[in-house]
Amino acid sequence: MSAILRTENLTKKFGGLIAVDNFTLSLESGRLHAIIGPNGAGKTTFFNLVSGILPLTSGKVFFGGREITGLKPHEISRLGIKRTLQIKSVFPQMTVAENLWVTRQASQGFLHPFRAATRDTQTRERVDQTLEQIGMTALADRTAGTLSYGDVALLEIGMALISEPKLLLLDEPTCGMSPAETERAVAKIKELARSIDIIIIEHDMEVVFGIASDIIVMTQGAILARGTPQEISNDERVREAYLGRPEDEDYVEEAAHA
Amino acid sequence: MIRTFVERFLLVAFAAFLVSVPWVVPVIANKFWVSVIAEILIWSIFAASVNLLFGYVGLLSFGQALFFGFGMYGVGIGIDQLHLSFWSAFAFGVSAAMAMALITGIFAVRLTWHYFAIITIVFSLIFYFLAVRLKPLTGGDDGINFSLPPVFSFGATRYSLTDQTFQYFFILAIFAICFYLMYLVTRSPLGRAFLAIRENDLRASLIGLNVYVLRLIAFVMAGFLAGVSGALFAFFGRYASATYMFYHVSGDGVVWAIVGGAGTLFGPVVGTTLFIFIRELVSTHWEHHSLIVGVMAILVVMLAPKGLVGLWREGLSRIGEQKTSSELNAKARLRSQP
Repeated sequence: MSAILRTENLTKKFGGLIAVDNFTLSLESGRLHAIIGPNGAGKTTFFNLVSGILPLTSGKVFFGGREITGLKPHEISRLGIKRTLQIKSVFPQMTVAENLWVTRQASQGFLHPFRAATRDTQTRERVDQTLEQIGMTALADRTAGTLSYGDVALLEIGMALISEPKLLLLDEPTCGMSPAETERAVAKIKELARSIDIIIIEHDMEVVFGIASDIIVMTQGAILARGTPQEISNDERVREAYLGRPEDEDYVEEAAHA
Repeated sequence: MIRTFVERFLLVAFAAFLVSVPWVVPVIANKFWVSVIAEILIWSIFAASVNLLFGYVGLLSFGQALFFGFGMYGVGIGIDQLHLSFWSAFAFGVSAAMAMALITGIFAVRLTWHYFAIITIVFSLIFYFLAVRLKPLTGGDDGINFSLPPVFSFGATRYSLTDQTFQYFFILAIFAICFYLMYLVTRSPLGRAFLAIRENDLRASLIGLNVYVLRLIAFVMAGFLAGVSGALFAFFGRYASATYMFYHVSGDGVVWAIVGGAGTLFGPVVGTTLFIFIRELVSTHWEHHSLIVGVMAILVVMLAPKGLVGLWREGLSRIGEQKTSSELNAKARLRSQP
């Protein structure tokens, strides 16, 4: 299986703080990868380096065999890596359909300065298709700024999808969603993973263990462990560093001190 | 629905009025107001240049007078010293403004918000002082006076801007072309990309938009509009002067665009019309007319952040809502009757 994303000694320093420390990683195509770890472990920084938002301190990034180190965010986006942001971000004063529309047209390279945007029937079809795919057809004409948080998150996923990405980076997609919205989003992500490579950062363990086939555990900018959900849940180091010790052990300890 | 209907009607009425100005205005007021309206048309294009940057791309420029001045001097120097024809001088002025916008834009659009506003002020000040100093070329504060070459000449018949009516229609035609171009751009894929950058530039770059290049394109387009208005104003006044490059002119453009309604096509026209009318009506009686301008600008920014056009649209949609709800009530009443 070929690697869709590969990093070599990827390092990011913020002054004295090492956010991502000598990260060498190869993510194969065809599996849903999840990155977990406590707050401040460097997960989002890793995404920011891959998508070009932050310049890296040293190291290399390869996307499907092609080196993308140092490329600009829009260049990386056009190569087919799309991402969502931890703090949901869309174009608030545009409608849902316009958000998708501009996203689709942005990936086409040439932006016609004089022809009406709505005359592009190919884009119109694609927008309708995507609206259906994310289940937001009824909300097409709503201003994005007035949507519920869960719907904004779904719209963001729709925007990532509409330009047929090769790799999707999802940064805490279910954060702030209601249980029903989470269920909907998880089903969507599972469905997408069949055709697109996805890397997901997620705090909700139920979600991670439900959808990922490969889990990478990060602490302090480095990889602590990697494996299948089963391997990770049985890993003692991960339990201690991240999942915490089982409550009954605390209880026993407390009882012993009493 | 109600909004598009009312606005279409207003647009047609407004266009009809503009076309009839040279005959109607001298009758109901006097000839002087024809040239005031011509001046409003010119300055509306200037306000549109501020609006394109601020209302559609989210860049607040306090330096558009620089490009206005380049358009103006392009025409003045072109005619007075290079002895260009009317159209060549026009093209020379507009190209000079666009070239200047490209050069300053390369540096300016790397920045946003107050940093962008400050760098645009700095650029316009630098060239203002340069223009004042370079007296042999620019005439400094006194400016350059020149006489107008003909616009068209077919054999013996010559059309020149010295004919008041012809001049008015010439300005109106350029005004119409500029606003039509602006209309096309705002609803094109490029215009949507501008809006995306205004709304959220990080997200815009993540969907694959080259934010820097797009901002630069917008900046050059705004330079075009400011350059056209400067060139027209030079033809209109038959002179070019460094005073029009001062940042106080840029500030006027910002106030007109914001009070009228930034991000709307005709907002700048509304703002410009209002303030030039106030100036013309009040300045003959009271020299501190800019106080009124200041108070109005503050009121509008505080009470109607989307400008007068925004206020008007809000009012219209409220009427629309009331109408549909009363219609619904009427239907409900009909249905409830046995």
